[in-house]
Amino acid sequence: MVKRWLSRYFARKQLLAQNALVQRYIVIDLELTGLDPKQHEIVSIAWLLIDNQCIKLSQAQHTINKDVQRLEQSPVYHGISLQDVATGQKLAAILAALSAHFSDAILVFHNATLDWGFLKQAFQTHGITIQPKLILDTFHIEKKRLHHQGHEIGLDDLTLGACRARYELPYYSTHHALTDAMATAELLLAQCHQISRGKELKLAALV
Amino acid sequence: MNHEQQEVAQFVLAQTPFSHLDNSATDYFVKRLDVIYLTRENQTQWLQSESPKLFLIRSGLYDLVDAKGDVITRLAQGDYFGFPSLLTGEAIQNHLAVQKEGIVYMLNQDAFDYLRREYKAFEQYFVRAHANRLLSSHYKSQNDSWSERKISELMSRKAVTLSPDASIRQAAKKMKEHGVSSIMVTEFERLVGVVTDRDLRNRVLADEIDPKHAIQTIMSAKPKFIFENNRVFSALHLMLKHNIHHLPVLDEHHKALGMITSTDLLRQQKSDPVQLIGRIYKAHSVADLKRYAAEVPKLLRSFSHNIDDISLIGKLLSGLTDALTSRLIYLFQEEYGAAPTSFSFICFGSQAREEQTLHSDQDNGLLLPDDLSEQHQDYYRRMGEFVCEQLVECGIKRCPGNIMASSELCRMSISDWCEKFFTWIKSPTPQAMLNCKIFFDLRFIEGSTALYTAFCEQLTRISHNELFYAAMATDIKSNSVPIGLFNQFKLEKDAKQHKYIDLKKRGVVIINDIVRLYALKAGIRRANTQERLDALLKHSLLSNHDVYNLKDCWRFLTQLRLRTQINEEGLPSNCINPDKLNSLERHQLKEAFYLLKLAQQAAAFKFARGSL
Repeated sequence: MVKRWLSRYFARKQLLAQNALVQRYIVIDLELTGLDPKQHEIVSIAWLLIDNQCIKLSQAQHTINKDVQRLEQSPVYHGISLQDVATGQKLAAILAALSAHFSDAILVFHNATLDWGFLKQAFQTHGITIQPKLILDTFHIEKKRLHHQGHEIGLDDLTLGACRARYELPYYSTHHALTDAMATAELLLAQCHQISRGKELKLAALV
Repeated sequence: MNHEQQEVAQFVLAQTPFSHLDNSATDYFVKRLDVIYLTRENQTQWLQSESPKLFLIRSGLYDLVDAKGDVITRLAQGDYFGFPSLLTGEAIQNHLAVQKEGIVYMLNQDAFDYLRREYKAFEQYFVRAHANRLLSSHYKSQNDSWSERKISELMSRKAVTLSPDASIRQAAKKMKEHGVSSIMVTEFERLVGVVTDRDLRNRVLADEIDPKHAIQTIMSAKPKFIFENNRVFSALHLMLKHNIHHLPVLDEHHKALGMITSTDLLRQQKSDPVQLIGRIYKAHSVADLKRYAAEVPKLLRSFSHNIDDISLIGKLLSGLTDALTSRLIYLFQEEYGAAPTSFSFICFGSQAREEQTLHSDQDNGLLLPDDLSEQHQDYYRRMGEFVCEQLVECGIKRCPGNIMASSELCRMSISDWCEKFFTWIKSPTPQAMLNCKIFFDLRFIEGSTALYTAFCEQLTRISHNELFYAAMATDIKSNSVPIGLFNQFKLEKDAKQHKYIDLKKRGVVIINDIVRLYALKAGIRRANTQERLDALLKHSLLSNHDVYNLKDCWRFLTQLRLRTQINEEGLPSNCINPDKLNSLERHQLKEAFYLLKLAQQAAAFKFARGSL
């Protein structure tokens, strides 16, 4: 037990010393029926891969959870209707496909607490053991950066849209898991640039 | 349609050539894109000759720079680059100077080739864009050629000569008389030596030589020289090589013709209009002024290809008009006596905004102190009439609306001017709005700056009125931008059924109006649209992003507009037939109009919310 813990500790320490700009990342965004992992469900999962600072749209995925019981939020918001649900896949299959990336990619979320909470719960329910290398959170990166600069941080300052506006990234009006994953991925690239400014950027600077 | 990558697909679909292609082209493109954040530091990672790519800019600003380091063009949202290497298979020649980092889409060669094969319009678009790029760099290399000109073309002065036995003092006197810094020493019209300012200092004064000696004792014998038919470049070369500043010019029989100096060459490098303005400021008669003014159209035509930034022409023409006006006022006072009181000669409209064209007419006025005697009023009436009439003689047309210092209505005291502005502000009728657009762009030309500043202060005070801003915003909104739903141009037709877009009325004017409104609100006392925008960067009324967008739109439209005046196609002035533009320009024009429409709506929202 201690040995396993120790080996994980050293693996993480080694990883954090690596150059953040050449890593492989998987950027994940979920559509949910609510905010509570205990009673709400995952509507769909989208992910994108970043390799060497390059977002690969050819490997982008967005899959709807066929097993979803109740679409609580208005379909106008996440844009997914009951007909769409019928074309989806079983959550177990989606989770398996997603977790296949965990061995060689670092996980990225915007506000990981929520989405990762749901994912952990889902993996547990479906009996899939996972061992993510590292989880980054663009929300957290931004919070830390603003804090360093001595800014007062307001409630609305850390939304995906507000963070992107700060880097003058394009404004996206649609809310869709894949759009949000894309928005998060672009934000991560911009943040990496802003923090490194041409110097070496260790992963440790992003956690 | 791949509904999944909605934001990317929407953006791509709005760009040429995709806007003209089947949706499946966009779908194919989007699915194969790589998305990067392009920065100064990582650009070399993406621009590699061994794996050429097509780049489409989603955000940020980049200058495309050629191998010599000259900027070819500025690239922004919706612009492509990298296609020359994809088309020709040659190594990448240009590189980028990142002005502002941003998101860029990349497509690899295989996917690019597939789209070329499948969609003819796609192929055509990039082949044409490539041809245009080549053409524009060709133009540039042709026009860098001032150094290719013949010496005789820029040698203005006649030869100042003396014989070798003349005294040093005689030489100094002759140089003073002709206002030159060197003299040629000739024997039987053949050049034997040169004496320069520096020789008089180093070889005469410093060595305590008697100025009664003959100049042949101190001259530089057997000087370097150049023939009148040589190129300017050779002269430059000789001067640099031998570190000399004066070079005698000879004809083929070795007869001395004149002297060319390093200053002459330097001046050549500067623009000709600057010289012309200099000459105007020194003119001694109205006849001289007319002669100089007559050179302007020709100068402009030769100049238009010479500068990258064509919008500079507006500044130059206004500068020329300013110079003419100032000099006329000077000549008037020479003849009729100095002005009895302080006065300010001011200009309005396009001259004030420094965006005059060859077709612009006069918009000027006189600002006078309160309570002038009738005799003084009469003096300024004559001044106004003189200046305006002579400007007409110099080719600057009379103002059809009579906005000229020769008119009583534009030759008023500070109080009367303020009263006039105040009438428009408190009752913003359509006519009043029209007046505001002309008169609120004002600039000082000649006379008393104190008087002008006092007036501006009063003007700022009375124009601070929210209802007035709302009226202006509503007025701006009523002028429609010529772009419809689905990003198509809305064309106008003339009597001969030519289809066209009026770039001035439907473009530049709207930008000017929007910028004027924000400038008034921010209390910015400038008339030039670009300067107003620069000043607005320091205010929070508009985001920097919006300011840069407006600046880019303005530059692009002004540039296109000036081109219509220089290469006429039989259309009404300021108008352009979008079919005559290349696809890149058409694309940019649409983008410009789109941004303009957004700015128009934003202004209406900001200032006229309550009254709409």
